[in-house]
Order: sequence, then C-alpha cells, then structure tokens
Amino acid sequence: MNKAYNPVWARNEALQAAAHRWNRRGLLPLPQLQAIREAYPLGYYRPNIYLRILLFLLTVLGYVAAAGIIAVSAYELFDAVVPWEEQAKIGVVALLAAFAGQFVLYGTIKSSRTYRAGSDQALLYFSLGFAGTALYCFVLALFPLSIDLFALASPYLALWLVPVLALLLWATARFGDALVAALAYVVALLLLANALLQFGAGRLLLPFAIMALAAGLYRLVCYLAARSDYWYYRTCFMALEVLALATFYLGGNYLIVREGNAAIGGLLVSAPIPFAPVFYLLTALIPLFYLYYGLRRYRRVWVLTGLATLAFSGYTLRFYHSVLPPALASALLGAALIGLMAAALRYLRTPRHGLTTAPDNEAGERPGLNLEALIVAQTAHAPQAPEPGLQFGGGQSGGGGAQGQY
Amino acid sequence: MRTAPFIAELRNRGLLTPEQAVAIETDEQTRPFSLHYEVRTLLYLGITLLSGGLGVLIYEHLDELGHGVVVAVVALLMAACFAYAARHRQPFSWGLVAGSSLLADYLLLLGCLLFLVLEGYLQAQYTLFGTRYGLALALPAGLFFYLAYRFDHRGVLSMAITALAAWVGLSVEPLAVFKNEFLTGSVSRAAITLGALLLLVGWLSETRRRKAHFAYTYLLLGGNLLLGAATAAMFTEVLQPLPLLVLLILAVSAGLFWYGRRAHSHVFLLLGAAYGYVAFTYGLVRLLSATGLDIVLALGLYYFIGSTVAAVWFLTHLKRLAGTDAHEQGL
Repeated sequence: MNKAYNPVWARNEALQAAAHRWNRRGLLPLPQLQAIREAYPLGYYRPNIYLRILLFLLTVLGYVAAAGIIAVSAYELFDAVVPWEEQAKIGVVALLAAFAGQFVLYGTIKSSRTYRAGSDQALLYFSLGFAGTALYCFVLALFPLSIDLFALASPYLALWLVPVLALLLWATARFGDALVAALAYVVALLLLANALLQFGAGRLLLPFAIMALAAGLYRLVCYLAARSDYWYYRTCFMALEVLALATFYLGGNYLIVREGNAAIGGLLVSAPIPFAPVFYLLTALIPLFYLYYGLRRYRRVWVLTGLATLAFSGYTLRFYHSVLPPALASALLGAALIGLMAAALRYLRTPRHGLTTAPDNEAGERPGLNLEALIVAQTAHAPQAPEPGLQFGGGQSGGGGAQGQY
Repeated sequence: MRTAPFIAELRNRGLLTPEQAVAIETDEQTRPFSLHYEVRTLLYLGITLLSGGLGVLIYEHLDELGHGVVVAVVALLMAACFAYAARHRQPFSWGLVAGSSLLADYLLLLGCLLFLVLEGYLQAQYTLFGTRYGLALALPAGLFFYLAYRFDHRGVLSMAITALAAWVGLSVEPLAVFKNEFLTGSVSRAAITLGALLLLVGWLSETRRRKAHFAYTYLLLGGNLLLGAATAAMFTEVLQPLPLLVLLILAVSAGLFWYGRRAHSHVFLLLGAAYGYVAFTYGLVRLLSATGLDIVLALGLYYFIGSTVAAVWFLTHLKRLAGTDAHEQGL
C-alpha cells in the first residue's frame, strides 16, 4: 500500500524525539543533537495546536460550503437529465464530494507537505464521511426493503458496514490516522454484533465474541508492530492497543453486559443475566491483571487502562449495590489512595523491580525552561538561521501553557 | 527497545561515538520505568476525594455527630499533615527549593484543604468568628501565604491568592453576596487594584529574585483578575470613564504580551492578545458609534476579516514571538 505521507517524516520525527530525550538525560551533548537534527530534518508542515484547530475548522467550513454549493447545482442537473431515485442522486453527489475531497487532500500533501496539520485531517475525515454517506444511499437505493438499516439487529446493516469497513481499512493503511483506525475497529465490532444477533443464541455469545475479537486485535497489533514501517502507524497502534484492552474489559464487564442485554432486548429495567458470577469475576480481575502486567512488563498503556478500568469496576459495583454513603465512600477511598501512594513512594524510594517514582528527566518536567540550551541555541547557531520554510518544523507540538514557566 | 535501530544507524553515520552509543543503549535498557505522573495524579485524586468527602460528611451530619469528635478528628488529620510536611521541610531559600518530598508537598496541600473544612465547620457550628466574615477569610489567606513561602509550594500560593481575593471582595462590599449583586463599581475597583498589586508582586519577585518561580502564579492570577474585572466592568458600564478603562486594559495586555515574549511563555502572549483584542474592538465600536456615522456596519465587516487575518498571523508566528522557535530549533 503506497502511503499518502512520506514515511521518512514519521521516522525522523521519532528519531529526533529520541535524540532530545537522550540530550535531556545528559547522554548527548547539544552540538551533537544539533548535528542529528540537521541530518534528519523534519520535512513536513505542522503548526502549533491552536493553528491546527483553526486550520481544521476553516477547512471543514470551506469543504462543506463548496460541496454544498456544487451539490445543489449537480442535483438539479441530475433531476433534469436522468430519472434516478432520490437516494441514488444524493449518493452520487456525496461520492463526487468524497472524490473531490480526496483529490484536494492529495494535492495539499504534495504541495504544502502537511502532515497532521489540521487541514489534511479535516479533508480526510470529511471525505470519508461523504463516502460513507454515499455508500449508505446506494444501499438504500439498491435494497428498498432495508429501510430500518440502523437497527443493530437488522439483517441489512452488514450491506453497509462491510464496504465502510473496507473503506476505513484502506484509509488507515494509506494515511496511518489513529481516529480512522479506531473507527474501523468500531465498525468491525458492530459487524460482529450484527452477525451474532441474527441467531437466537447469539446474544448469549456476544460478550465472549467481543472479548475474542479484542484479543485477536491485540495479537494483530503486536504482529504488525514488528514491521519496519512501525513509526508511520505508531499512533494507530497505540489507539488500537487502548481500544483492544478497553473492549476486552467492557465485553466482560457486568454493567455493560447486563444493561446492553436489556437494551438489545428492549427492556426498560435490566434483569439479572445468565453467567452472572463469570462476569462479576471478570469485572474484578481484568483491571488487576492489566495493572499487574503493565507494571511487570513496563507498559504504560496497560497501567493507565488498568487504572481506568478499575475505576469503572468500582462504578459497576456502586451501580447495583449502595455499599456506603457517597461522602463516606469518597473520604475512605481518598484516604486509602493517599495511604497506598505514600507506601508506594516509600517502597520505591530506591528503584525496585525496574520501577521508580522519580520523574523520567528533570528538565522534562518543565519544558521550555532549559535555559542553557536556549542560550547555546541563540549564540552558537545564530548564523545558521533556518530558512523560512522550516520554521514550523519543531518536533514538539506547541504545547500551549506547558511552555510557560511554572 | 524500538530505539535500537536508531542508535545503530547514528553510530554508523558517525553522529554518535561508539562509547556514546553503548552508554545510550545501556540507559535505554536499564532505565527504570517512571511512575511519577501516575503517582502524582492518584495522590491528587486521593486528596480531593478525602477533603471533599470529609467536607460533605460534616455538612450532612452537622447535628448527629459529636462535635468534639469531628473537630478532633479533622484537627488531628490536619496536624498530622502539617507535621509530616514540617518534618520533611527543606531549609528556607528565596530560590527554587529542589528535592522536596513529593508526599510532603501533597500532604501540605491536604492540610490546607482540611484547614478550610475545619474552619467552615467551626464557623457553622459555633459561629467562631461571629459576623466578622472578613477574619474568616483573612486567616487562611495569611496562613497559606506563610506556608507557600516557607515550603515553596505554588499550589498553596494559588489558594492563598484566592482567599485574599475573597477577603478583599468581602471587605469592600460586605452585603453584595446577599444582594446577589457581584459586579458593582467598588468590587470592580477593588478587583482591579488587587490584580495590579498581584502583578506588581509577581514582577518584583521575578526581578528581585525573591521566589522568582512564583512570578508565574502571581502574574497569571493577577492578570486574569485585573483584565477580567476590567473587561466585565467595561461591558456592564459599572465603572466610568470608559476611555480610561479601555486604555488600562490595553496597557496591561501590552504589558503581559511583553512579559510573555520576555519569559518565552505562550500563555501570557495569548492572554494579552485576547483581552487586548476584545477591549480594542469594543472601544473602536463605541468610538465610531459615538460619531453617529453610518459607516460602522460596512467597516465592521472589513475589520473582522482583517482581524481574522491578524489572528492567523499571530498564531503562525506564536513560536517566533515567544522565542520558543529558536529554542526548539536549537534544543
């Protein structure tokens, strides 16, 4: 699959970030860092976060307005020329808008070398949105019976979901965008649920099928991450890893299973579910396993997901059983947390088991305050002022307030 | 680790010496996994939950609990927190005190929060301060200022400044809270004065090297207080004359902008630009409508197009304006 962006950009970005980290840890002198920066330049355009948001909004506005103006005239033209059905006409117009968006996106990346700069993301997301709308319209036009398409149990839903999944997978492979990858996974989940709900016993199997799909996705991510173009898809892998862990947990969570079961069955009040002890056990144990594994194997994603899922397990418990009055529970939980963290701080005062509570690097805590680096940069490298086209090439995003002194 | 190919490649290209490559590789493999931010976040969460839970608990059971027990428990907890912080204190210095214990920092914060809980309880139950509400606010302000400076704690400093602002607001207009009338002329004047004072203190602490790292807190809170109060007063017209107010906002915004450039801080640049833009636009509209001419609407369109362009220019040049551009290039 040929990639939309230059894969060298992602790799150089990661390499420069690693070199910065070594510099902050005192392993790499500044002149050498400067030499590495010049040997591996960041050849793309990505402004600070405020401008990215602005670019995103302006591009969306321009894209939708242009698509709307052209759509109205195109629609009237179709009306006069071909006696198509309503949905088919809307579908063709949406498809044209999607192609136009992709075409402009391609041109933008070629000419302005934008790389997740807001404008290219806006074009990507909205052109995919238009394409999805077009597919929906075509399904409606081809199968008039599929009017209740959006019901999860509808047998026609797959007609729309399968092409959408293919589209999203293509876009993920081409653009390496985390949001698109996450959406593709969500569509795959919907497809699975839709397929299982066609059978009577499917609803019973659904939680386990979702857990199996999440585990499969995790295996897939591990397998793909060994490829040489890892850096191009790094954000996708991270997003998918979090999603896989989260859905694996949620698939076995008692609250989700019980309330989801009631929602699918159309019940107003949820009833106790079969295999309840299994789900209680999973709700309790999965977060602990995430935490344990994350701490043993030094995986931050696992630790953070473990904490979040642990909190949700607590919420699940309180949802069905009022254990303590909220104020008392809050105070006790707070005290327990403080006690636990105090113990952790004491235990890890000298690093044990490869864990520490000290910050990774002192300067990293206060970015923008490395005055020595600033002085050196302004004096030693003043003659080699970067050419205007490169001024946005800073490897770090603007960081907003984080740049300030505090 | 994933950086191993990078190290090998850099060594082969001669950008790293073999010794450095070995040192970096060893560091990548043996560096302990840092749980710093996780621990900090959980500690903060614990403190919020504990002080919040205790506060609600006391409020809900005001009549049932034995008063002595409540006072004793909260006071004991507070004393324990302060004692722990005091035991781990570093010698006082006007500079940034390095190496203070993480737990002591957070327990100091918890102690301050518990102090507020305790004070609120005593006032509600025993009306300790009677109707001298000012004292009830001045006391924590004074205590927190002392603690912030003694223990070099910026979080407590923010609490002290907040308590001070509440005290000032209460002193100038004691009945405003009960009349549901927060934005009066005297409150605005007091807020502007206090904001200016905080800005001055912040500036002095930076230039005189008296806790120079506190300047950020002082300037941010003071600047927001002054500019927010002045802008609100400008719109509601509780303060006259208007031109003076607009000029004041513009001057302070310009000052913050200048400071932002000086300190390489994006926050102050954005703050100054945003408040300055609002005041300038409002002043211009009032000025033009005062002339009674009909051109205001036509000009308005061009003005907003022009200011959009200016905003884009400002954001594209933010890094260069703040001087972090050269910083990142060189770092």
